[in-house]
This record gives sequence, C-alpha cells and structure tokens, in this order.
Amino acid sequence: MATRPSGRAAFLSGVAVLGTAVWLQAGWPPAGDRPVRAPSAVETVPIVTTAEQTPSSSGAALSSSGRDLLDQYCVTCHSERLRTGGLGLENVDPNQVRANADVWEKVARKLRSGQMPPAGRPRPDAQRADTFAATLEAALDRAAAASPNPWPSVAHRLNRTEYTNAVRDLLALDIDGRSLLPADDTDQHGFDNNGDVLSISPALLERYLSAARRISRLALGRPPSTRSIDTYAIPKLLSQDGRLSERLPFGSRGGSAIQHTFPVDGDYLITIRLQKTLYNAVRGLAEPHDLEVRLDRERVAKFTVGGAEVVPPPASYAGTLSWNPEWERYSHQADNGLEVRVAAKAGTHILGVAFVKRFWEPEDVRQPVRTGWAFETDEMFDGAPGVETVTVEGPITADGPGDTESRRRILLCQPKTTSDEEPCARRILGSLARRAYRRPVTEADLRTLLDFFSASRRSGTFDQGIEAAIQRVLIAPDFLFRVESDPENLPAGTAYRISDVELASRLSFFLWSTIPDEELLDVAARGKLKDRGVLEQQVRRMLRDNRSGALIENFASQWLQLRDLRNVKPDPDLFPDFDENLRDGLRQETELFIDSQVRENRSLVELLTANYTFVNERVARHYGMPDIYGDRFRRVTFSDDRRGGLLGQASLLTVTSYPNRTSPVLRGKWLLDNVLGTPPPPPPPDVPALKDKGANGQRQSVRDRLQEHRQNPACASCHAQMDPLGFALDHFDAIGAWRATDDGGTAINASGALPGGAPFEGLPGLKSLLLSRREQFVGTVAERLLSYAIGRGIQDYDRPAVRRIVRTAAPDDFRWTSIILAIVQSVPFQMRRTES
Amino acid sequence: MIVTKKALARRTLLRGIGASLALPLLDSMIPAFAAADAATPIKRLGVVYVPNGMTMKEWTPAAEGADFELTPVLKPLESHRDRMLVVSGLNSTPPPEQSNAAGVHARASTRFLTDVPPKRSDTSDVEAGISVDQLVAKEFGRETQLASLELAIEGRDLAGSCDIGFSCAYTNTIAWRGAQTPLPMENDPRVVFERMFGNSGSTDRAARLAQIAADRSILDSVTGRIAELRRGIGARDRDKLAEYLEAVRDIERRIQRAEEQSGQQLPFVQQPGGIPAGFEDHVKLMFDLQVLAYQTDLTRVMTFMLGRELSGRTFPELGVVESHHATSHHQNDRTKLENLLKIKVFHSTLFAYYLDKLRSTSDGDGSLLDHSLIMYGAGMADSNLHAPANLPILLVGGGIGQAPGGRHLRFPSGTPLANLHLTLLDRMGVPTVQRIGDSTGRLEHLSLS
Repeated sequence: MATRPSGRAAFLSGVAVLGTAVWLQAGWPPAGDRPVRAPSAVETVPIVTTAEQTPSSSGAALSSSGRDLLDQYCVTCHSERLRTGGLGLENVDPNQVRANADVWEKVARKLRSGQMPPAGRPRPDAQRADTFAATLEAALDRAAAASPNPWPSVAHRLNRTEYTNAVRDLLALDIDGRSLLPADDTDQHGFDNNGDVLSISPALLERYLSAARRISRLALGRPPSTRSIDTYAIPKLLSQDGRLSERLPFGSRGGSAIQHTFPVDGDYLITIRLQKTLYNAVRGLAEPHDLEVRLDRERVAKFTVGGAEVVPPPASYAGTLSWNPEWERYSHQADNGLEVRVAAKAGTHILGVAFVKRFWEPEDVRQPVRTGWAFETDEMFDGAPGVETVTVEGPITADGPGDTESRRRILLCQPKTTSDEEPCARRILGSLARRAYRRPVTEADLRTLLDFFSASRRSGTFDQGIEAAIQRVLIAPDFLFRVESDPENLPAGTAYRISDVELASRLSFFLWSTIPDEELLDVAARGKLKDRGVLEQQVRRMLRDNRSGALIENFASQWLQLRDLRNVKPDPDLFPDFDENLRDGLRQETELFIDSQVRENRSLVELLTANYTFVNERVARHYGMPDIYGDRFRRVTFSDDRRGGLLGQASLLTVTSYPNRTSPVLRGKWLLDNVLGTPPPPPPPDVPALKDKGANGQRQSVRDRLQEHRQNPACASCHAQMDPLGFALDHFDAIGAWRATDDGGTAINASGALPGGAPFEGLPGLKSLLLSRREQFVGTVAERLLSYAIGRGIQDYDRPAVRRIVRTAAPDDFRWTSIILAIVQSVPFQMRRTES
Repeated sequence: MIVTKKALARRTLLRGIGASLALPLLDSMIPAFAAADAATPIKRLGVVYVPNGMTMKEWTPAAEGADFELTPVLKPLESHRDRMLVVSGLNSTPPPEQSNAAGVHARASTRFLTDVPPKRSDTSDVEAGISVDQLVAKEFGRETQLASLELAIEGRDLAGSCDIGFSCAYTNTIAWRGAQTPLPMENDPRVVFERMFGNSGSTDRAARLAQIAADRSILDSVTGRIAELRRGIGARDRDKLAEYLEAVRDIERRIQRAEEQSGQQLPFVQQPGGIPAGFEDHVKLMFDLQVLAYQTDLTRVMTFMLGRELSGRTFPELGVVESHHATSHHQNDRTKLENLLKIKVFHSTLFAYYLDKLRSTSDGDGSLLDHSLIMYGAGMADSNLHAPANLPILLVGGGIGQAPGGRHLRFPSGTPLANLHLTLLDRMGVPTVQRIGDSTGRLEHLSLS
C-alpha cells in the first residue's frame, strides 16, 4: 500500500539521503586491503577485508531512507500480500542484507538499470535511486568481505580447445582437435568452458580413446598401419582471385597454404583437384594457368592447366546441350594428373598450392561473386581456375620416425642398454605426467605409467612402451579434468584459499587455455605463488606471452558471438557480394582489434570508442574505405565517426541480423545483454512474425513494422529498452555495410530515446549514451571475463567481487591488465568453500 | 541463474553428437537370429538409390507376373531373379498445388523415402518430412549400436543451392530424421570402418582382440584412478567424475559385446586410408562395409546413394565422357541413350556385387540376404522427362517372401509410392503407422508368397 509521503517524512528522508551522500563522498567504504590472520596452515580467513562498519547512526540513516524509498515506490506491487514477481519488500530490513543477499542484489541491479519501477509508474529521481542502490551495494560488499562466499567450481573437464592446446604444449604436436573430438556444449552466454555444462558421455570417451591412440602414435612417429588419405577442401565460395595467405609467395593467386603433419619420414603423394561446375567441367580453361606446389616454400612441382586448342560449344543455360565429345573429354579430364610424389620429413609442414597470377587484368578487379544455382551452372570458361581439394596420401614408403620436435620433447633420454631403460622411462614419464597432471607426480602415478610401459615393451620396442604410457596419460582423469580437493580437517562450509598448484592451473587455463608451463608450475610447486608480487609478475609475463592469444580468441569470440559468424548465411539475392573472403575478413578484423586493445593495455571503454580498426582490401571495400590494397591486414584510423569501436564492426552487426534484414530487436538485445548487463526477459510465446507489408500493401520500413512494440504496453515494457538501441545501428545493413536508405527506399531513421532519457542519434549518439554508463559497461565485461576465468556462470553472490574488480581497476582507467589482475586476485578466483 | 545440466547433460549430449546413438546395451539384449520364415519379421532394411532417373524402356519388363523377362538393366541381377520383385506403376507426383516447375531433382531425391515435397528454400531453412528408413530405425535402433547408417559416394556440397531455388541439403541426402533434419551421408570409408573396428587396422581377429585387450586395460586402470580421486572431493565433483565412470562402464559393455562377436569369421578388410580414387573401387568398398555392418549388427537400417541427383560424374571406364546428368538429358538422341544405358547397367552390376555378398554371408541358419529387404530404385522415371510417375523400383531379399521365382508387379497408375512405404513398414514389423506423406493405403499382394 503506497502512501503519499507526508511533508515531514519527505523532509526526513531528504535529510537522510543527503547524509548518505555526504558519507559516500568521504570515500567509504575504503577499497584497500588489510593483512589477514592465519589461524592454521591453511588460510581460511578471507584475503580481502574492509573496515568494519559501525552500525549506529549510519545504520539508522540507511534503513530509514531505504525504507522510505521502498515504501514509496516499491511496496505498491511488492507488498506481502501481492508479492509481484515473487518478491515481497514490505517487511524486509534493507540494513540486514546478509540474510537475503541474492534478493538485494537483484533489487540493486534493477534500480541501477532503471528497469524498476516499471515505466509508467512513479519513480524516484535518478540520484535518489542511484544513491539507494549504492548504499545497498556497499552493504552487500561489506557482508561479502566479512564472510566470503566462493562457490566451489565443479570438476572441470578440458574442452576441445584446451585439449588441443594441452597436447600441443605437452607433446609439441599440432593436432586437428576439430576432427578428433566433437564440439562442446556451451552455456547461456556461449562460453564452452563452463564446467557445469562440460559433461562426458560414452561417445566422447570413445573419441578420447581413439584420439589418444592416434596422438601417441603420431608423437613418437611410429609408422601408421595403413596409408592415410587426408583431403583438404577449399570452400567453394572463397574467391580465389588474389593472394590468400602470408605463407604463399607474392604473385600467387588462390589455392591454399595447408598445415599438414606428416607422421614419418617418407614419400607422400599429393593430388590436386580443381573446381568444377555442376556438370563436372573444370572451370577457367580458356587460358593456360600455372599451378605450383610448394613444401615449406620450396617448389616441388609446377603444372600448366587449360589453354588447349579445344573449342567449347556455345555455353548453354543448363549445360545439357554439349555436342562436342572432344570438349567433353578435355573439360572433364583437365585436372587429371595433377599429382606429385614428394619426400617429406616427419612433422608439421606447410604445403602451399597456388596458381601463378596472370596480370592480364588490373589487379583489383574482382570477378562478380555469385552463389547458388547461377554459380553452380555457369561454366566460367573465361574465368580463372580454382583449387578444389588437395589430398595427401601416404606414407607410400616409410623411412622411419625422423627427428621431430615431438620426439625431442618427449624423449629426454635414449637408453643404450636394457638396464638403462627403466630409469630413462621413469625420467620421461615423470616429466610428462608432471606437466600433464599439472602437479608434482607421486610414486603411484609413476607406477601406473611404468606398468603400461612394461606391458607394451614386452612385445615391442622402447618407443612403443612410451607410446602406451602416453595413451594412458591422455585418458587419465588427472589430465582430462581439473579437480580441486578440499584440505582435510576443515569444518564444513569454510572458505579457504586454493593451493598454489591449483591456482597455477586456473591461471594458465584462464590466460592461455592450456596447461601451465614449466616456470609457472615451478613457482607454484615451491609455494611462491602466494606472494602477491610474484603472482602479479607471473600474470604480466603470461599476458606478454604469445599464448595469451588464446584468451582473446576464446573469450572475445565467444563473448561477441563471433563463432556464429561461421554459420550465418546472408540471403544470396540481397547480398551477392558476401563471400567467404569477407566472412573470414570480418572475423579477423575483430580478433585483431581486440588483440591490439589487450596488448596495448587500453581501457575497456575504448572497446566502444576506439577510432581505428584493422582491414584488408576486401573489408575496406565493404566499409567504403578507398585506396587499401592487398590481402594483408593493416591498422587504419577512421576519418569520420561513422564507425569506430566494436559496435561499428561488421562481424558483430552481421551476427545480430537476420539473413535478409536487420533486426533492431536482436541488436538491442545484444547490447542490453553484453554491454549494459541488463538482459531482457524472454518474449512471450506465440509472437507472430513481422509482416512484410503494412495494411495499405506498401513495403514498410523495419521501424514501422515494429510499431506494435511501441503501441502495445505489454510489448513496450521490454521493447522500449531494446528497440531504440537497435535503431541507432540501423544505418548498418544486415552484413554491416553503411546505408542511407533501406531496401524499400525509405531513408533510415536512426534516432531513438530510452524511457525517461534524452534522445540520441546513430552510432555516435549511442556511444555517448553508453559512455555515460561506462561503469555499467565495464562491470558487464568484467563479469563476463570473470565467468570465463572461473569456468562457471556468475551468481548473485559473486557480484560483490565484480564490483570490487571494477573499483580496483577504476584508478587505472579500467585498463585490461588491471581488470585481469583484479580478477586473478578476486575471491571467486582464489578461493573455494568446503561442502556444507 | 544456476546452469544445472547434470542430469540431462549426458543424454542431451548423446543426442547432440552424431546422427544416431543407441542406449547402453543391457546384457539381456542379445538379439536372437530369427529363423527365416514368412511369419517372422524381417531383420534388416537397405535402400540403394541411383540418381538422374532410368532408361525406362530397358528397365520395365514387358510381361507381368512370374514370367517377366530380364531387361538389359536387370540382366546383371539374373542370379537373384528368384528373390526379386520388380514394381512398376508407383507415383511420386505431388498434388498440383504443391508442385513447382523448378526443383525436380530436389523433389525426386527428397520424396523418394519421405513422400513429402521439399519446401522451396535455398538457405538453411529446409523442410520435408520423416523418411521411411528412419521410422524403421526408431524401432530397430534400440537393439543396435547405430540406429541407422547413411552412406553415399559423393561428398557434401557446400555452395548453397544445387537445384534452382532449392538448397543442396535436399539433394545431398535421401534420409530425413524429422521434417527439418536431413541426415548427412558419409562418403569416407575410413570413417565408417573406424566406427566399427576402431583403429585396429583391419578386420583380422587377432588385431581386433589385441585392440580390445588394450582398451580394456586402459579403462580398468582409469576406473581405479577415478575411485581414488572421488574419495577426496566434494559431492558435486564426485557427480562429475561419476559421469566419467558411467561412460567407462558403457564402453566396457560394448567391448564385451565386441569380444563375443569376435568369434565370428569376418572377411578380411584392411582399414581404408580414405576415399579410393576410382568409382568402382569406392562403391565396392562401401558395399563391403555395409555387409560388415549387417554382420556385426552395427545397424539394421542403411541407405546408400550411388550418386546424388544432378550428379555430374563421368564414366571414362565405360567410354562415357559426358557427365551423367548431361547424358541423362538424352532428348532421344541415340548416342546419349546408349551411353546412359551403359551407366545404368554399370550401376546394377555393382548392385549385383552387393547382393552376391549378402547371399554368400551366413547369418544364423540362412544368409544375410535371407533376412533382409533391399530396395533399389530412382526418384524419377524417364531421365529426360524427369517423370515422377511409374518409378523404377526393385525389391530383393528374403523380406519379400519365400515363394520361388521372382515377379513383376504392375500397380494401377496413380498409386502413390507412399503406399509401398506403408507396406514395407508392415513387413518390417514396425508398429502401425497410419500415413506417410501422401499415402492412401497399403499395397495388396506385395510379396512372393
């Protein structure tokens, strides 16, 4: 029951608010640490404390102003009787936050984002709401500091990426994880390293078994039992008009640079097939073209294709009226015999297959790109031929395991006599197990592995013994899972700091998506990682290391949904120019951008405001940037404010669109979710699809089609928050290109306003709006990054940690290194709790 | 919001990976090899599909009933004449309001087992209906490692649209698990082999047993370690590792079953390295693997496409230089018709190779062929006309009955192909399905007995 506040109560609450405001300005609560007491060998006292709050006057002021605000604006709906949304606020004391921390977190969040009170209801003014939310949050932070609540992460299976990287670092072997293992499930934010979601099924275990066999055999270079045939296919819709890789020579055209692991020294057969039309005729035979094959940059073969003196019949619509048998024979067999037998050394090498570019046309003229039926049936006699597949078959003759990096990494010694064997095996397997299990090795671990070694050695060679032991390592739960054990003798429900060795694993999987390296493991094993200075030094070292690229690739691509870019299929009729080159280019642009932001230790805010990006010719053309040539990506600064930052990048704009039109709703929702951290609730069921045409039969703009969202109050409650954000981006079409009018010819209207807010226009206006809430943005990114770091979803009881991270990084302008360091030093990252 | 997927994760993960996976095998579920008599349901279903229609004059026998002559395309199957039903007159014509002028090939391919016209779409938004083999697989799949196996010779096409206005998904497959789930077809024999025999290198018994022993010892060792680990950790972690333990036990059960079956004498097949270069080699290898799949009871439902609709393959080994599809637009030109006939006869010769192998492989107290029903056919009749009526269909195997001598059955024009599918479902012993696609009832007299 709301009561209109009487004059006196209003006066008192006004004073209380003022009082609170003065308080906050005085810099309370302090963000500093205090040293902790260690009651026993295990640190069970929180590593973070804040000054204890004297309850008296502050408590009274807090509770009275808070109580008044609740009574005035909230209890109308959230009374004990009504309990709207399951929430009753009538009888709760805003000073006693500890008991219902999760409820109060939600209250604070809704107040901050302006979602509550709902539009159309009386609202407190922004300052009052913010002040109340701030005091609530401060109280929650105090409660969390006094009794930290680090929920235990569940035993965490290595995902596919981590497995691949671990094998790379353990055995110096590059494997194709995507062909060996199935894709992992993802959580609701799209992260595939969430421990709750990563499960293990019989099918997956079978793949692990089969992968372990293959990997161990490949690592030691035992010749495979049969010849294998590996076929690499180039996507049909990738334009092969220019140089496609840094690993191909200048002056090359099309083809591919393939990274292939040759199992043993020996002879291999490389076969090339060219692109054909639907009717099996090789494309582009009008002129002769040279095709080169290179192994690690050294040319091993050169072929000439096309240009024979055979005249094709007139090209027909369906390719069915071909009356020239000579042409038939030639066009179908023109790519026979494109094969070469090479002697290759065991290990990973680059196989480069590409045409020599013929400069009978100016360099930057692209062939018109087509997809679908037209592409399939056009014989393209006059075009340029393209490579379809490259097949590597072998070994045809095997010469032996060779001297590969894997063998050098694994075989730390080679026994000369039988008595040397066990000590040597011990040494090899001990080193492997230590790195694979990410902890000091026990005698029991070694015993198990040596048993496998001996069993295999009885019927085979020393190498085969090691191979069998490696198989066992790759299946071990100690390898596949990150298990953290509670120390004995701790009472139930105690929070404690995890061991250094466990912390090392968390660190390396966070920053590198792989196992810890020797240095990190060594520091941890000697108990030095506890030291704040050492920890910070290690984090900075790891960020400087190349392997931190994994953080950018895995976190950013999943946070920004870049992986969806692989699967989008823009309508080929509306966007005939969307080819594989563009698809790949857009992905690379965003990855390079974020990489530069992290490595240059920029502020997180610059993700939105940066005025530069990375483009190559294809992407530059897409953005309408002139005078950029070549396939290499280079940094460019924007000359206007049309783009700039993540929100102007076509990768993001494409994954938030439908195949045939933009969706302000999808884009608005993305922004609410990933930038403002206030995801909207799901839509009601049975919402019909948008109609193409209006009531008068005219084509409508998207804005008009969405007017129901504004007119119907049931829709407006959520859509008033979402649609205006999406409309601001409507100048970018469904593949992120700039447009002034939509496909109906109507001029784009990119203006909008949030409920109760000032209007804004286009991307520049949207940026200003988001900048005015920069802490909210930083908090959202920090929350996602924390979720990625600890491998689980963020719960309400983690929010004090998130707020602390933002506060800690604030003096440093929210730079990446500060945020990452703050995450590494946070309660959820460093602590666990025993089962209660 | 806590993401709790513990209870569901494994099952949903099972559904997510791969086409079809069976539940863990219980010891009680050792399939009994039924005696071959008309009362016992058929054990196995196979479908072999040929693209780009048929040379109908050289396919359809003039006479009906038991005294039909073996036409040129059927001649290679002579030794199987007594277990053969040539079926004529069935239609896959969609009703007028559903037919499009374009997309005949997509339609032929899609309707062949679903009897539903494909939705016109060249994006990923495809739709048809569930295919008859998948209806059978739902039943039979409970007792085998794989509910069904889909194989092909031509790999998946990724350019988007293969028939005008229709996505490549329609012509890449003939099997549909659901209206929006076309099943991908595997064309790499190495992948199929590894599914059956792992990396043992061949079907050689000693090699397989060695592999089984190696797997078992690793899994035993791991089980012990998991038990140790579980002792020192919290309940939630224990549950996660319990999943691992369950997975291990599952595999041990399968290993046990494989060991029991290893007593079977399997023909020696070397682990394929990949896709053979020659068409005939590739086809024969895929047929060999299908025989093995039936033998090891990996699955009881298989569909196999000898080529995709619109296939542009050339057959230089037959002296046919023009592509299959181009040749199939014969326009009654004599040379093209001769060439097309060569291709069709070649296909049935390869099919005869398969039937020979099935017949010479023992299965309980009969042969594999005795306990199977194999359907061979094309999605359109005359290639040039892309005619959807009077489709060329052949049924072979013990599943069609036991009376000696084959038959040529001609059904009244307009009879839907779907009626044949309904009848097949009956013969397979699948619980009654009332309708499939545009069916109007069952076919009478569809048997040899």
